[in-house]
This record gives sequence, structure tokens and C-alpha cells, in this order.
Amino acid sequence: MNDTHIIINLGRQLGSGGHDIGRMLALDFKAQYYDRAILSRAAKESGLSERMFEQHDEHKSFLRSFLHLPGGVANSGYQQSGGFSQDALFKFQSDAILRAADEGNCVFVGRCADYILRNRVDTVNIFITANMDFRVSQVMAKQGFTDRDEALRFIEQGESQRAEYYKYYTGKKWGQAENYDLCIDSSVLGLMETEKLISQFVRKRFGLS
Amino acid sequence: MDNRQATLELGTKPVGRLLWQYALPAIVAMTASSLYNIIDRAFIGQVVGPEAIAGLGITFPFMNLSAAFGAAVGVGASTCISVKLGQKDYETAEHLLGNTVTLNLIIGFLFMVVCLIFLDPILRFFGASDVTLPYARQFMVVILLGNMVTHMYFGMNAVLRAAGKPRHAMYATLFTVGMNILLVIAFVWWFRWGIRGAALATISSQSMALCWQMWLFSDKKELLHLKRGIYKLKADLVRNIIGIGISPFLMNVTSCIIVIFMNNQFVRYGGDMAVGAYSIANSMAMVFFMFVMGVNQGMQPIVGYNYGAEKYPRMLRCLWLAIASATSILLVGWGLAMLFPNQIARIFTTDPLLLELSAHGIRIDMLVFFIVGSQAVITNFFQCIGKVKISIFLSLSRQLLMLLPLAYVLPMFWQLDGVWYSMPASDFGSFAMTWPLLWWYLRKFNKK
Repeated sequence: MNDTHIIINLGRQLGSGGHDIGRMLALDFKAQYYDRAILSRAAKESGLSERMFEQHDEHKSFLRSFLHLPGGVANSGYQQSGGFSQDALFKFQSDAILRAADEGNCVFVGRCADYILRNRVDTVNIFITANMDFRVSQVMAKQGFTDRDEALRFIEQGESQRAEYYKYYTGKKWGQAENYDLCIDSSVLGLMETEKLISQFVRKRFGLS
Repeated sequence: MDNRQATLELGTKPVGRLLWQYALPAIVAMTASSLYNIIDRAFIGQVVGPEAIAGLGITFPFMNLSAAFGAAVGVGASTCISVKLGQKDYETAEHLLGNTVTLNLIIGFLFMVVCLIFLDPILRFFGASDVTLPYARQFMVVILLGNMVTHMYFGMNAVLRAAGKPRHAMYATLFTVGMNILLVIAFVWWFRWGIRGAALATISSQSMALCWQMWLFSDKKELLHLKRGIYKLKADLVRNIIGIGISPFLMNVTSCIIVIFMNNQFVRYGGDMAVGAYSIANSMAMVFFMFVMGVNQGMQPIVGYNYGAEKYPRMLRCLWLAIASATSILLVGWGLAMLFPNQIARIFTTDPLLLELSAHGIRIDMLVFFIVGSQAVITNFFQCIGKVKISIFLSLSRQLLMLLPLAYVLPMFWQLDGVWYSMPASDFGSFAMTWPLLWWYLRKFNKK
């Protein structure tokens, strides 16, 4: 670990306004803001295309695990080290996160950053939830859905994928309160006020006035 | 940083050299174990007799099944461990190691007990006759008693690779193969312990290799070592291991089913000697096919990376190179099989009937052997670029969709020859299916 910075890891339910809160926090603390941007960074550093990372972003599908098939040979069980799979992509992504954190203040949204940076002393882990109505309307506005059910399905599907992804790579349950320093429902105070509260929490955590 | 450099090289270094570099260790390990199989069978055939080789052939599905369980744990564990090591999460990695040991012991033990209890009925189901059953039983009792060792040995080897010691894993493989050959000579040829001796040689050499592996893993200086408190099974670790291991497991079970079916067909239409001949022809084909499997594994990271980096010309070059080298080596095997089938069969037996059957069988079995190479490489190619459904479809089509029905129908018209011909026929069928799929798929790249 080099210098200490302010590293904020944001977990978020779909449609809880995590992105907007993250952006505002980044402004407050003069931090780099990474959501999907970490993918393009990982792509640049690994020489792989960004599309590849996007395809595997925050979900682990059942069929993909067949990528682990080792040639299918019975008694050798041989598997090439340095092989290429979703796990390799995750490794590139986490290396990118580690390097970004070394460079200065950061806000990371999702991508298991809390786990990847667990050995740093300068992190604060926050999870943002919101009630379903709030989330549905957020998702409808952002994704351009006209149908509530459609938005609901989108949320359910996306979150079960996120949870599975998180569980596979971290061994922990996604969104479980004890894994975070602060859990907050953004629909109670609204995005602006919630952000202010989090900002205050972070300030106190790092001993800033 | 080292690791990253190696990965970036996948996109820059000349493809031919990369393929060589990645495929060589795999080729060495695989060819070595198939050579060992040949030598094992040759000694059993020459010293113990032709019935013994038929009895041995009956036990193959057993070995497949045992390997299926071993691979399920081994592949799953090694994948999970390398992910955790990548994250420098040594604590979880060690728990994975401990859980692997426990899982292997439990599964190995259960497999042993269940199979020992039902040994005779299972062997009958696999196609054993009154003549071959004693040989198969003698062999299997020893193998099953050592089953826990076998599982642990394969499991630990997989973990060694994941722990960044692929070289050690290769040494372990080469050691077992070499030791096995020495012990087979001693036990079977010298002491005349019969087919039991061959089984004992297998188990002993694996035990020795396992001791060495355990010694490696008990070194406290290693990041990953065995210690107290890591052996208790943890539900989510086991779930991750099995979740990944299930696909290699199913692949192995499939090949197990195929061999059971083929053995039964051979017994039905040609008697015990035909099973012996099938086992001889198969081990001949395997030596060359293992080379192809090695090439396949070497091409996986190269094709995978360059596909991901959208360097399509490099990806395609690797594909063509792999197809070319796989096909050339199979052409050598094919040439040998067509020109010298008698001499090949002679390695395994002196029995005139078995000799004749095997020589005849080898010729038919490997009639279109050289086209199998491109089929296997292309199937693997689809897997490398994440077209998993196509890949699974292609590999299953050869075995389940083509071979099984053909091996069932053809003998109705041509008896024993029908069983033999079902193999080149299914090879040809899947070959004819694979290339159009590739052609259809590659059009997309040519447009780019």
C-alpha cells in the first residue's frame, strides 16, 4: 500500500440512484469516479476489447462456467495456467481497480471493489437501497421502459445476477448489512440529502472536518 | 506484473511460437500417460494372455467414472483456487485446498465402497463374460482399494497447477508414468503377479507421487500449505467447486456410457476377443489423439485472448496452425495403422485370433482417422471463443448423436464389422457437420 487516500466503495440496488450519489461524492472529495469506466481502464491495460468486459460485467451466467471445461479429457484433468475465462477478466478488472486506488481518491460503484480493496486501510464501504416504487420509477426513467412490470423484471433479473456474481467472487452475500460500514435507503431523504449524509459520514470516518 | 506480461504476449508474440510454448507441456503430459497405457496393456497382453486384455477392456468405463469424480473436484478446486490466488486471498485459497482434500477422501471412499459391494453386477453390466469377469474383478479390486489415492493424486496435481507450479505437476505425471512402467515390468513380467500386478503398479506409483505432492504442500514457506483447520467442509466453497466441476464430470460420464455401450456391442457380436481387439485399437488411436488434445489446450489461451482483443487474424492463424498440426500427426497415425496393423497388434498379443481381430479392427477403426483432428480442434475453437453451446453440441454429436445409433444399427446388417464401421462413420458424420458450422461462423469475421 502506498499513500492513504479516500476510497469510497458503493454497492447499490438497481435504481437506487447509486450512480448519481457516487458522482456527487466524487465531486465532494475530488475523487475519480469509476463505474463502467473501470471496464475501459481494464480493457486498455489488458489489451482486450471493452466489449469483452461489458459482456461479462457483473453477471456470471451458468453457461459461461462451461468455459472451464478442460479439453474434456478423462484422466489428465489438465488445465492450462494463464488460461482465458471470465475469471481472467475479473482478474484484469481487479488489477485495474487496485491500480486506480493507488493513484488517488476514488469512488467505485459495484464490481466487488469492497472485496478487492479489502486490504487497504483507507476505504469506506457503503450500500444504497431504496424502496421498490422509487427504484421502479428510476429505472423506467433511465432505461426508457413504459411498463412497470418490465422495469420490475429488469430489476429482479439484474439483481439476482449481481448477487450471484458477488457471491462467486467474494464468498459473501450481496447487500448484507454487516459487510458494509453504512447502509442507507435513498428513497427516504431523496438523492441529494442522502448524498450529504453519506458525505458527512465519510468525512467523520476519515477525520476531516 | 510477470503474469500481465505473459498475458499481453498472447497478443503480440508470433502465433506459431506461442502455440508451441503453450501446447508442449500439455502434449508431453498427455502423450506420456497414453504411452503408459499402451505399455501397461502390452505387458498384460503378452504375459497374462488375451483374455486378460479383454478383461482390462471391460474395466475402462470404471476408470472413466472414477476419473469423472476426480475431475469434478480437481478442476473445480483448481479454478476456484486460482481465482482466490489472483486476489491474494490466501486464507480462502487454503480453505479450498483443505476442502479439496476432504472432498476427495469422501468421494473416493464412497466410490470404493459402493463399487466393491456391487462389483460383479456392475462388471456384468459393463459387458463381462464368465471368461473375462475374473480378470476384470482381480484388476478392479486392487484399483478400487487404492481409489482414494488415485482421487487425491489427480486432485493435488490439479491444485499444483493452479498454485502456479505447472512444472511440478508435469514432473508428478512423468514420474508416475515412468514408475508405473518399471513396476509393471517388475510385478507382471518378473514376479508374474498377473493382472493384479498391473493394478498394484498403478496404485503404488500414484501413492509415491502423492507423497511427494503432500510434501510439497506441507512446506510452511509456501503461500498455500496444508495446516489445521482448513479441512472442515464449507458449504459455499463446496458449491463453487462442484458448480464448476460438474461440466467436466458430465463429459467424463458421457465417455463412460459410450465405452460401456461399445463394449457390450463388441461382446454381443464378436465375443470377448472382440473387446480385447477394441481395447487394443483404442489405445493405439489414443496415443495420437492425445497429441491433438495437447494442441487443443495450448490453443485455448491464445485463441481466447486474441478473440477478446479483437485481433481476429491472429486468432484465425492459431486455428489454422492447430488444425494443420493436429491433422499431420493424425496422418502419421493413420499411415501406421493402414500399413502396419499386424505389427501394431503384435505389441499387445501373440494370440493368433486376437492378432487377426485387432489388425482387422485397427484398420477400420482408424479408416478416416486424419479427419478427426480438425473436428476436435474446431470444437475446441468454439469453446475458446465462448460459443459454448455450439461446442457442446459438436462434441456430443460425435458421441451421443452419431456413434450410439450407428453402433446400434450397423451391426444388424454387418455384425461385428458393423460395430467397427460405426466408428469411422461417426467420425465422418461429425466432420461433415463441423466444417460447415465453422465456415458459416467465419463469414462474420471475413466481413470485418
